[in-house]
Parts: sequence; C-alpha cells; structure tokens
Amino acid sequence: MAHSEYPGSEHDHHIIPKKTLFSVFGALVMLTILTVAVAQVDLGSAINIVLALAVASAKASLVVTFFMALKYDKKVNTMVFSIGTLFVGIFLVFTLFDTAFRGDLGNVGIETISAEKRTEKKLKARDPGAAGLAIAPGDSARLTDQLAADTTAAADSAAAAPDSAAAASGGDHGGGGSDHGGGG
Amino acid sequence: MATTATQTAEKAQAAEEHEHHPSHLEHHFVSSEQQFDSAKMGMWLFLITEILLFSGMFVAYTVYRAWHPEVFATASATLNWKLGGINTLVLLASSLTVALSIHYAQKENRKMLVTNLLVTLALAGVFLVIKYFEYTAKFEHGVFPGEAFAPHGHHYEHMAGMPYAAQFFSIYFVMTGIHGVHVVIGMIVIGWMATRAMRGHFSAEWYTPVELTGLYWHLVDIIWIFLFPLLYLI
Repeated sequence: MAHSEYPGSEHDHHIIPKKTLFSVFGALVMLTILTVAVAQVDLGSAINIVLALAVASAKASLVVTFFMALKYDKKVNTMVFSIGTLFVGIFLVFTLFDTAFRGDLGNVGIETISAEKRTEKKLKARDPGAAGLAIAPGDSARLTDQLAADTTAAADSAAAAPDSAAAASGGDHGGGGSDHGGGG
Repeated sequence: MATTATQTAEKAQAAEEHEHHPSHLEHHFVSSEQQFDSAKMGMWLFLITEILLFSGMFVAYTVYRAWHPEVFATASATLNWKLGGINTLVLLASSLTVALSIHYAQKENRKMLVTNLLVTLALAGVFLVIKYFEYTAKFEHGVFPGEAFAPHGHHYEHMAGMPYAAQFFSIYFVMTGIHGVHVVIGMIVIGWMATRAMRGHFSAEWYTPVELTGLYWHLVDIIWIFLFPLLYLI
C-alpha cells in the first residue's frame, strides 16, 4: 500500500546477474594486465601517462557502472557522482593554472616586476650607443667626469624624493584647511 | 471506563499502523523504497567527500610531478610494481565478492552473503599484509616520509641527498597510508556486516547497510585503481 503512494518506485531492486559481475571482474583483470604491459614499453612519458590514466578511468567506470550499479540506479546518484568528479577536475586544472606558469622560482630578484622594468628603462636610457662606446685614449678623463656627474645626480634625486613627498602631504593639509575656511 | 476504551482504541490503531510499517522502516519515510533511496543518496554524497579528500592528495601529486619529473621517475622506480599489481588484483577480487554479497542478499541467500563478506574481509587482509611487506622493505632502507628520509642500501642509496626525493616518499606514504586507513575501516565495517548477516538481520526486503558498505568498499577499490599506475607504473 505504501509503495503505491510513492511515485516512481519499484518494489524489487535490480539484481545484477552473477554472469555480469564475473564478466566485469574479468574485464578489470584484463585492463590491469594491459596497463602493466603498456607501462613496460617506453612510449615517451606523456603517452605513457595518458594511456595509464585512460585505462584507470575505464576500470573506474566499470566499477562505478556495474559494481556500484549506477547503471540501474536512480539518476540523481549519477548526477551526484558526476558533479563531484567535475569539481575534482576544476580543482586540478585551476591549481595547474597557477603552478604550471610560475616560471623559474629559483631565479627571482628581490625587486617587484614593475621596479625591475623601471630599472631596465633607466639603463636603456643610459645606453651610449655604438658611437659612444668607441673609446679613444684621450676619452678616459672625460668618462670619469661623466660617471661622477651621474652618481651625484642619482644621489641628488634619491635625497630629493623624501622632501618632495613631505611637500606634497603638506600641501594636502593646507588644502584641507582652506576648505574648512571656505565652509566657515 | 472511558479511559480504558480510549486506550484500547489507541492500541488497536497502533497495531494497525505497525502492520503497514516493517520494523526497519522509520516513520518519517513514506516507504521502504524511499528510505533505501535516501540512504543510498546520502552514501553517494559521503563518497563524494571522500573523493574530494583524496583529490587534494592527487593534486599535490600532480604539482610535484610537474615540477620535478626526473626526481619523480627515479624515486618511483624504487617501488615494487609486482607487489602493487598483485594488490590491485586482490582489491578487484574483493570488489567482486562484495558485489556478489549484495547479489545474494537480494536473493535472500544468507549463507552465500556471509561467505562473500568473509572472503572480502580476507582479501582486504591480504592487501594489508602485502602493504606491510612493502612498507617494511622501505623502512629497512631508511626510506621514511619527511625529515626522517635517509635512504641507504643497494637499491636506494642513489637517492641520498637528491633534492625533492624525500617529497616523493612523503606523497607516497601519505596517499597509500590514508588509503590503508580506509581499508582498515572497511574491514571493521565488513566484519560487522558479516556478524549481522549471520544473525539474520538482513533480508531481500532490507539489506541497506550491506549495500552502503559495498559502495564504500568499491570506492576504496577505485582510489587504488588510480594510485597503482600513478605511483608504481608511470
């Protein structure tokens, strides 16, 4: 009586025939032997990995479909399983988006990428060109002077930086004050 | 008098209700079918959390392998693929027997149900014994996970001081170790199911615990299906 109140229910569960179970087991054993045999042959790392994963996936599908009886089960369980495995895929792929594109982590500078780019630009601006690199014996003194001038300029700009920052913030405060004045 | 009459009527009603409800059926379910399907879906949801637990380790494996393919190949070659292969066959056979036990539960063949559960238990035991020999062979040569990694002896000494070789064995021991814990838990549950089956707790009408135990055991098998080629073969 209760069964008729529950739509879509069948009284008997599907009994998987013994023959099916043994055939699936036979197939699983054959696939295991296949994957071991294929692994003994060196087809290149990538091909070996793809083949081994393909065989493992085939075995897992057989287990899920017949031993775990998803084939005969309510579709909602297949959905639960499929969505779960989908998220495993997302987990793996999105992690690889990070880890596979990090470059050489053993060879990184202490500066940020934008700071490195600025330095590179500065160095390029200082490039004297082929004509400038042609040195005559008498150029030595002139080059020494130029180098000294460059160093002084760099030190000056470094020393000037904190000053200009302070000036800017001072200006901000002044602006705020005058705003208040206008309001009053 | 009026009270007694009411009580008698209630008792009669209760008895009538009981007639329509088998003893295994909880009152918040419409039918045995609904109860069975709910339990099964709950089990599938649990199995998904198990898959996600292992997927964290599979991702760690993938990243490690992508970063250090040569070290991976060298370290992986020291694993005994023959023992791993035998263990794969053992677990596949145990999956078959647990599927057979459900087949016999549905046919109400108690003797074969118990026999197949006990064979599954024995095969799980064989798996753990082989795993024990694999582990001890590694430990004897100083191949431990993490900081304790200090390989020595003919087959292992080339890994001493090799950068990232220790990480391979950390991954290997954690993945197979947590899988092994699942095998032990499976054995406890299967043993429990076998004793309940012996005492006649299950019928063709109601064998939900055996069904759910079977699902769990197949999942343990599936995890190994992936662990075997990934760790031992390629």
